[in-house]
Amino acid sequence: MAAATTVRLVLSSEVRLVDIVHAASEHMAGLAGFGEDDALNLGIAVREAVINAIRHGNRMDASRKVDVLLRARPTSITARVRDQGMGFDASTTPDPTSEANLLQTSGRGILLIRAFVDVVDFKYREGRGMEVTLTKKRNRRTKGAPRSTGAATDNGGIQQ
Amino acid sequence: MKTTVRTVGQISVVDLSGKITIGEGDVVLRDKVHELLEAGHKKILLNLEKVSYMDSAGIGELVACFKRAREKGGTVKLLRPSGKVEDLLQLTKLWEVFEIFAEEQPALASY
Repeated sequence: MAAATTVRLVLSSEVRLVDIVHAASEHMAGLAGFGEDDALNLGIAVREAVINAIRHGNRMDASRKVDVLLRARPTSITARVRDQGMGFDASTTPDPTSEANLLQTSGRGILLIRAFVDVVDFKYREGRGMEVTLTKKRNRRTKGAPRSTGAATDNGGIQQ
Repeated sequence: MKTTVRTVGQISVVDLSGKITIGEGDVVLRDKVHELLEAGHKKILLNLEKVSYMDSAGIGELVACFKRAREKGGTVKLLRPSGKVEDLLQLTKLWEVFEIFAEEQPALASY
């Protein structure tokens, strides 16, 4: 694969389009040499970021866009998901694995994102919406291990 | 996602195949469990053997089915989660919430 390969998808805020982004993410991971399980993990993480963007960022307003940029490099793959919403503080979201929240029917998306990629960066861009950048590195075990957030420095070379 | 329902004694075994994800599988699961509960079938075993993965919406719908059944005096249990589905149940700690079985006979005998 070339030094960096990019794919950009811009979609209206419709949940029926989430599968397209998921499939593209898995395919990009395959092209970059990731194994099937890691590719699925990336697909699920990107899926969750896009669902959050549609539901919570753009509040299901189909006229608002979700902008997804996938960039595969020899050692990692990065997904940047931008919405046109008001943003949120990821550090204040409740822990869905605490006993009090186990029977909640929502609120697990960020848990899945953190578990299935290596680096997650949440950033609100004033007046331009929320931006979530996910980076998954090759040959690293990520399954089932919640990740720290908000301190990412490796964003896979995606322009800010 | 596709579902087929087998009735074994008083237990409804729902064989699921595909993925339980937002806008599709989660709706199918919700409708099927609702239909069973409304028809008075309160002992429900969801066979996840052929479910490839779930997203947060699908996981949320599993929890919703569990709660809905309990409110109606019923029970939802899980059979043969494997691969990514097992990972997700462990990660979310729902492994501790649901009764989960690797084999069908012990699952049926548990009701």
